[in-house]
Amino acid sequence: MACGTLRALISLAVVVLASRAITLAVPNANVEPELVLKNVERNIDLQSQLTKITTKVVLENGGKSPMRSFLFAIDDKQKEGLSYIGAHTREAGRAALKVSKSEVKEHPDKLFYQIELKDSLPPGRSVSVEVEVVSTHELVPHPKEIIQKEKQLVRYTGNLYLYSPYPVLKQSTMVVFPSRNIESYTKIKPVSQTESTITYGPYDKRAPFSSEELAVHFENNSKFLTVTRLERVIEISHWGNIAVEETINLLHTGALLKGSFSRYEYARESKSGEASVQSFDTILPAAASDVYYRDEIGNISTSHARIKKDSVELNLRPRFPLFGGWKTRYTVGYNVPSYEYLFHSGDQYTLEMRLLDHVFDDMVVDELIVKIILPEGSRDIELILPYAATRLPDSLHYTYLDTTGRPVISVTKKNLVENHIQNFRLRYTFPRLLMLQEPLLVAVALYLLFLMVIVYVRLDFSIDKDEASESKLRIAGQCEKVLAAQDRRVSSYNDLDDQLVYLKANKDANAFLTAVKSINQEYKNATSAIAELAQKLKTESSDVYERVMELQRYDRILKDLYNQQQTLYVDKLIPGKVGRQPFIEAEAAISKKKEECVEKINGIVKSLQ
Amino acid sequence: MIPNKASAPYTKKVLFPDKKPPSKQMKSSTLTNAAGLSSLITFTILLLAWISGFASRLFAVIRFESIIHEFDPWFNYRATAYMVQHGFYNFLNWFDERAWYPLGRIVGGTVYPGLMITSGTIHYILHSLNIPIHIRDICVFLAPIFSGLTAISTYLLTKELWSAGAGLFAACFIAIVPGYISRSVAGSYDNEGIAIFALQFTYYLWVKSVKTGSIFWASMTALSYFYMVSAWGGYVFIINLIPFHVFALLVMNRYSNRLFTSYTTFYILGLLLSMQIPFVGFQPIRTSEHMAAGGVFGLLIFVAALRYLRTVLTKSEMKYFGGVVAVTAAILLLILIALTYTGVVAPWSGRFYSLWDTGYAKIHIPIIASVSEHQPTTWFSFFFDLQILVTTFPVGLWYCIKHINDERVFVILYAISAVYFAGVMVRLMLTLTPVVCMLAGVAFSGLLELYLKEEDRENGDREGDGSEEESEEERERSPGRALYDKAGKLRRMKHERPKGSGDGLGANLRNGVVIGILMLLMMFTVHCTWVTSNAYSSPSIVLASYSNDGGKSILDDFREAYYWLAQNTPNDARVMSWWDYGYQIAGMANRTTLVDNNTWNNSHIALVGKAMSSNESAAYEIMTSLDVDYVLVIFGGMIGYSGDDVNKFLWMVRIAEGEHPHDIRESDYFTERGEFRVDSEGSPTLLNSLMYKLSYYRFGEVKIDYRSPSGYDRTRNAEIGNKNFQLTYLEEAYTTEHWLVRIYRVKKPDEFNRPRIPISERTITRRTNSYISKKTARRKKGFIKGRPTVVKGQKPQRRTKN
Repeated sequence: MACGTLRALISLAVVVLASRAITLAVPNANVEPELVLKNVERNIDLQSQLTKITTKVVLENGGKSPMRSFLFAIDDKQKEGLSYIGAHTREAGRAALKVSKSEVKEHPDKLFYQIELKDSLPPGRSVSVEVEVVSTHELVPHPKEIIQKEKQLVRYTGNLYLYSPYPVLKQSTMVVFPSRNIESYTKIKPVSQTESTITYGPYDKRAPFSSEELAVHFENNSKFLTVTRLERVIEISHWGNIAVEETINLLHTGALLKGSFSRYEYARESKSGEASVQSFDTILPAAASDVYYRDEIGNISTSHARIKKDSVELNLRPRFPLFGGWKTRYTVGYNVPSYEYLFHSGDQYTLEMRLLDHVFDDMVVDELIVKIILPEGSRDIELILPYAATRLPDSLHYTYLDTTGRPVISVTKKNLVENHIQNFRLRYTFPRLLMLQEPLLVAVALYLLFLMVIVYVRLDFSIDKDEASESKLRIAGQCEKVLAAQDRRVSSYNDLDDQLVYLKANKDANAFLTAVKSINQEYKNATSAIAELAQKLKTESSDVYERVMELQRYDRILKDLYNQQQTLYVDKLIPGKVGRQPFIEAEAAISKKKEECVEKINGIVKSLQ
Repeated sequence: MIPNKASAPYTKKVLFPDKKPPSKQMKSSTLTNAAGLSSLITFTILLLAWISGFASRLFAVIRFESIIHEFDPWFNYRATAYMVQHGFYNFLNWFDERAWYPLGRIVGGTVYPGLMITSGTIHYILHSLNIPIHIRDICVFLAPIFSGLTAISTYLLTKELWSAGAGLFAACFIAIVPGYISRSVAGSYDNEGIAIFALQFTYYLWVKSVKTGSIFWASMTALSYFYMVSAWGGYVFIINLIPFHVFALLVMNRYSNRLFTSYTTFYILGLLLSMQIPFVGFQPIRTSEHMAAGGVFGLLIFVAALRYLRTVLTKSEMKYFGGVVAVTAAILLLILIALTYTGVVAPWSGRFYSLWDTGYAKIHIPIIASVSEHQPTTWFSFFFDLQILVTTFPVGLWYCIKHINDERVFVILYAISAVYFAGVMVRLMLTLTPVVCMLAGVAFSGLLELYLKEEDRENGDREGDGSEEESEEERERSPGRALYDKAGKLRRMKHERPKGSGDGLGANLRNGVVIGILMLLMMFTVHCTWVTSNAYSSPSIVLASYSNDGGKSILDDFREAYYWLAQNTPNDARVMSWWDYGYQIAGMANRTTLVDNNTWNNSHIALVGKAMSSNESAAYEIMTSLDVDYVLVIFGGMIGYSGDDVNKFLWMVRIAEGEHPHDIRESDYFTERGEFRVDSEGSPTLLNSLMYKLSYYRFGEVKIDYRSPSGYDRTRNAEIGNKNFQLTYLEEAYTTEHWLVRIYRVKKPDEFNRPRIPISERTITRRTNSYISKKTARRKKGFIKGRPTVVKGQKPQRRTKN
């Protein structure tokens, strides 16, 4: 009960923490009227399922004051699919420039990004900047449905000119296709086609926000795969391991398969099913080990891992080839050593890992959910993201030996591409003494278990006393003691035998007598112990008592025989009062009697056992 | 058998009395404490039996993965997962609309829930301890874990029947015997996995209660029986065997008050408890299978009453009384017969009849006969599953008959009935296995007792060593033992000389026999491991093939197809397949099936069989009436997989014929010479049946290698007879990599009326281009050639040529 309340409290706290959602303050900006784009070279790369537009811009400051930044506009068509925008200088260093979303009062309906220059641009000077824009789902299959044999044709519609708030003096656009099979393209002169490239322009001065439709229709059999949902779980263990697991929902977003799927054609004809995806490569970190690839119904046996110098390349084949509109779902997981990603000083830890990792080349991730499971007892958690993402409410995760639960940090973001493979940082405090908690827990649990067994074995839980069996047990106990004493007696006999043999050999009567004294003492002790026990047994069981008494009787006879033997040795043999023959006879007689006696004793002993 | 090696070393080389080690006395009394030592040995052996039993069941997991095997386990797994997710009461009320479309299945009332409850409980306990083990892994490893419990209960039962040594033997045997492993490898998540444990444990408790006559043990028997009822339909075996035992004891004039107490307690409690299982319900009082138990209950009370009356009445009065009794018994029997006829008491079920007449099922219930595990057992499989035990268990049986007592009567009956049932059905080999292990344990222990014990004495004699090694049995049997449990082991006197061995067995002979026995046991172990590894450790949903260089390749076609269904068909799609694959489709693809392995509705199965055996258009009618969206067939002709649907096809025909004798006739599917062949000489009905077409669609174009003709079926080693046909009503939706599973989509009526022509081949007459309009700028009005002039209120006049 207490645990439940605690849990509720924690989740409440988590909700409160999470409610301070990250709100992006979008800064306002103005369009500088003096800025002119002297030359624009655009490169539209349509080789994959992505639209990668690289724009090389030469900016010229026509104004009086130096400029620190400029605006980059995204046209309405591109708004939806826009996934990534980045900029860098075109100098040798290719230093990345800061790009941030901004709003312009005059054009509230348009989407702008403000790009900050490395150095401020003095009046009259020009600078060259490269802007990279990646957008997804802009290539539309046309026709929408194809049969297995057909090629996949897609259409792209974009802007022939740079959509810019500034006037452009000169521009050209180059469109790169995956193959030379181009069905149709917009023909606005000057235009030229060479192999799989179409070059538009150069065009002269165009006004701000000028736009002209660029439509191309071409063959594209590259992998039109979309990760509709990617759940990435990073579980940190302070014992040196970080476990990563990615659950991936895949959908083939190319032209849908119409009609039947024919395995015969797929296997025999190389042209068949060109647009389908049979396998792809996933690149994992070089330190990744224990890689698994599975889904709800078990291991997917069709995968290979190649270990390269700087990565582990995983060739994944879904259970079935993916045709347009087909989907699948799988899980990939692996372990990496924590020393590569987790750093600490004292109790302060910092985790630095990729927020999104590679799934396949030119990938599109519609929705990403990252969950970071920290060790139990971590607090003061601070997350630094490489780009804006939504932080979900924190939760708790329970696994082996957890008591209070492990904090889980969750982050989500939509529409990602390869350019989003960047590191995040997570700072937290973890008292290192807490590492002992789990081993101690196990130790205490085992200790309690043994303690319970000990207590249980020693206590009597029966509700009535079983007299008969108890007395039986008592007798058995007494018998055991009797037998132990008998054991001692036997050993003293044996010693005596040894001494007699010794005596016979070296004829040292004095030494013998001293030795015998202690043996006899031992013997007497044992005998008296048995006598005592016999008295106790008398009340319990007369039968056993009688047997013990019998034992005593025979033992006395045996002892007498020993005494006889002793006298024979000491008084007759040593002084030499007896001849060899009579001595042997006498000894033989004694040992025969002894043996008979011993047999009887053994019989009794066996019955007592 | 288990030499007591820890006895204190006793040296007689002590010459100087003062140098005697003081701890010697202590040692001899504690370390050689026989009770502690024997329980340590017992514990160790049982633990090892458990571990080795567990380990040898893991072949499939190590070779493949932790996965549920075969067919029925998939349903059990699905039901368990449902219970874990939705809770126990929802499970009991679960109406599964994904099975037996459109009928559905009331799962809660038609399963033995013991298995699900067992693994659900384990899951619950582990998760409440924050051990996040997936329910699948619990299901996979449940049977191996329970095999250890079976070993322990077998030990207990054998110990009650014979001796602890025999019990240890039996426990070791049952841990690794293939006959039991076949049903309890990791992943084989089936009722039998836990039921054999419940069976053995119930028998142990029963024997214990007969021995003691205590109500406590009898109630425990009833509880254990309750668990068994909840776990497996085989509980009928218990509820017939125990009354049979009681009856036999009565006939042998071994009636005792102990028997009376234990049976009456067990019967009443067991009856009430067993009726708590929804699936069993009122069967225990309404079906013939359970009547014997009731009859014996009456008889026992009657005998007890008679015995009491004998003490009260005189002899002449008794004679008179006997007549009354005979009349009453006759009336009771008549009432029972009358009740059976009126239907209050159900007669024997068909499955039960097939136990007495092996040909019965083939004639009356083909669906039972179609299952391979319901076939009579061959001699080969007796040896395969039990190896040396099958030859040694009669010896144990003979020992038991020779030294008969109340509980040994039980094991004799158990053995005889189990041998009979195992002979009738391969599947019931499972009930034979435990008793074979027990009796073989008795036999081996008896043999070793004789030979090993003497050898020890001989050794002791020769070496003149006072220390005595005593076998477990000897200690167990020595008369003083029973009285004094804790007595220590006593050192014999040095000068004791046992008189030479009485039975005249030479040391060489003894050694030879012992070595021979050990060799046999070793061979048995090797055989068990080999059988387990080769025959019983295939998950059957993943196939492995080995190439010539020893490389392993995995054929994962089943999961490929099921996962395709799961991902790329609508969630409510209905899949038609032969019933074998129903559970797998439901479990892995999570799609609605028409029939599955719970063969409760024969006519529904026959309908599917009819669809498969009819021609395409007749099948289409059946399929549309059943709302079928997809049809799934298994086809092994490409890779030579023999368990495919074409090989099962005759059973489909037979089952369909049973319900629709006018439409389907088995003889139509044979050639005139009575052969079933798929090549061009096969019967035309077969070559045009839906199953044939779905299996071989486009297979006629496939050329497997250069020597064989195209369309060569590797399983049946024949070139198929009907090639190059087109499907009208279905289209290929998916075929797996090795063609093992083929899925077809049933077309909707609007899709097949007009055969589709590719756009490139279509000739489209473009009116707008070819028609030259007569309209000009002046004459804008168009006209229709030969238009009838319509005047309101008049019939249009017939045009006349002018």
